[in-house]
Amino acid sequence: MARQRYHDGLALRQALPGRFLPFLVGSMAFLAALALAGGIAAHSLSQRWTHGAGAVTTVQVPGPTDPATTTAAMGQMPATRIDAVLAILAATPGITDTHRLSDAELRALLAPWIEQTGDASLPLPAVIELHTAPGQDVAASLLPRLQAQAPGVLMEHDSVWSDRLAALAASLQACAGLAVLVVMTVAVCVVMAATRAGLLTRRQAIGLIHALGATDSYISGRFATRVGLLALWGGLCGSVLALPMLLALSQLAAPFTAMGDAPATAPDWRDLHAWSALLPPALLWMLVIVPPAAGLTGWATTQLTVRAWLRRLP
Amino acid sequence: MFRLHDVSYAYGGSQAGVAALSHVSLDVAQGEFRWLLGPSGAGKSSLLSILSLEVQASSGMVEILGVPVRQTRRAGLARLRRRIGAVKQDFGLLPDMSVFDNVALPLRLQHRAEAEIAHEVHAIMKWVGLEHRLDALPPQLSGGEQQRVAIARAVIYRPALLVADEPTNALDERQAGRLMRMFHRLAELGTTIVVATHNDAIVAKYPAPTIELLHGHLVRDHG
Ligand SMILES: Nc1ncnc2c1ncn2[C@@H]1O[C@H](COP(=O)(O)OP(=O)(O)OP(=O)(O)O)[C@@H](O)[C@H]1O
Ligand SMILES: [Mg+2]
Repeated sequence: MARQRYHDGLALRQALPGRFLPFLVGSMAFLAALALAGGIAAHSLSQRWTHGAGAVTTVQVPGPTDPATTTAAMGQMPATRIDAVLAILAATPGITDTHRLSDAELRALLAPWIEQTGDASLPLPAVIELHTAPGQDVAASLLPRLQAQAPGVLMEHDSVWSDRLAALAASLQACAGLAVLVVMTVAVCVVMAATRAGLLTRRQAIGLIHALGATDSYISGRFATRVGLLALWGGLCGSVLALPMLLALSQLAAPFTAMGDAPATAPDWRDLHAWSALLPPALLWMLVIVPPAAGLTGWATTQLTVRAWLRRLP
Repeated sequence: MFRLHDVSYAYGGSQAGVAALSHVSLDVAQGEFRWLLGPSGAGKSSLLSILSLEVQASSGMVEILGVPVRQTRRAGLARLRRRIGAVKQDFGLLPDMSVFDNVALPLRLQHRAEAEIAHEVHAIMKWVGLEHRLDALPPQLSGGEQQRVAIARAVIYRPALLVADEPTNALDERQAGRLMRMFHRLAELGTTIVVATHNDAIVAKYPAPTIELLHGHLVRDHG
């Protein structure tokens, strides 16, 4: 006689049907994945804006044509200050691009002040725009070396926009975190309600096996295993459904992120590496972690719900 | 064996609730058989549910098989319940599980091997004369048949304490006689047995020490 391995009267397939919970948990996992992806994207954009190629540093060199302070021992031709500064900048690793503003650019930039003073012959400093490689902070070590050659050199990190964008990114991240929190709370409530309904439909059987000596941990373990597996399955579906959505979104966002050179067409489906190159690793990890997180949340919630419910039995 | 000292029980809490037992003290030794007598509403079922750990006494001391109930944690009580068999007045069978599965339930909860379970279930069901109804659902059985299934489930794991609430009320005289012989055999093997009944004829036919309740009070112990 082929009898079910677990014929303990709990009939969990009836008490916790296999469609309802995975559907709800899957939807929650899908939403959580999107919210998390938003958070991750905001984080990487803010990284780029604060440290990356988006940041511009300006160097002001007053009296650019004055001779530079060269060390006497070197006995070179005394160069102008601007030449000395440009030479140092060219030899500094981490600087991707330097651009000296022309006189016309400078005057255009300073037009409001020049008009106010009405003096066009004011001595102007030379202004150089620097672009630094992402993640490089060259300013700290650079400034003393420049000042040694050209006293009065000023460096200014143009941070107004990057600061604003970083603040925007931070608030986007906070929103994403909040959304994940709300989704998880709703998921926990849904699991609790489903578990309570399941307990109610099998209340007679639970009372009986309790009277026959089944421990609380046995009963809660049976419910939690079932719910945990259903939630894991739901989370898996949610993650898989979120994947095409995230691929599409990351293609849309490609011009704004470092992923700009990702191939626009889908790669061969067998080539896992090519697929993984389409999404940033943080997003991939997030998609991998969502299903077990859903399963674990379902398991733990059910354990607590069932144990609390069983307290009514002596 | 079990000991009760000054035990009271009220449904719905000791304050406003209905008093079902008042200041009952009892001491029953291992392997004893006791009748539990008293008119309807006297508190027989209430006493049996305290003994089967289905409810906790509102006050007083309860010690079952040497275990003090109030001082024992939930896991310990669950372990203790596995040594107690109970035949309920309403049989307590699961209507959506076959007779086989109902009777096998206690053994499955003890994680016994399926082959052993099948062997034991067939043996006990043969003894109660229902080995041909193993695949039936309880609602498809007559009252007497359901009662015999409930008895089979209560004795299949050879409990150290057996409490039976009116176990013969749906049985004919011949089956009741068989049941009484089984109870005496189990008592000889060391099981403490308490049987509640209204049936004066069967008490007269199988005389044994009695416990008698009236309005929740103990009016006779032994005699
Ligand atoms: N669930 C309940 N809620 C409230 N009162 C109850 C409940 N069950 C029993 N009672 C009351 O407790 C008292 C004792 O009931 P109990 O069932 O123990 O009597 P009994 O001796 O078993 O009666 P019977 O011979 O009819 O089975 C009765 O007055 C009854 O009305
Ligand atoms: Mg009764």
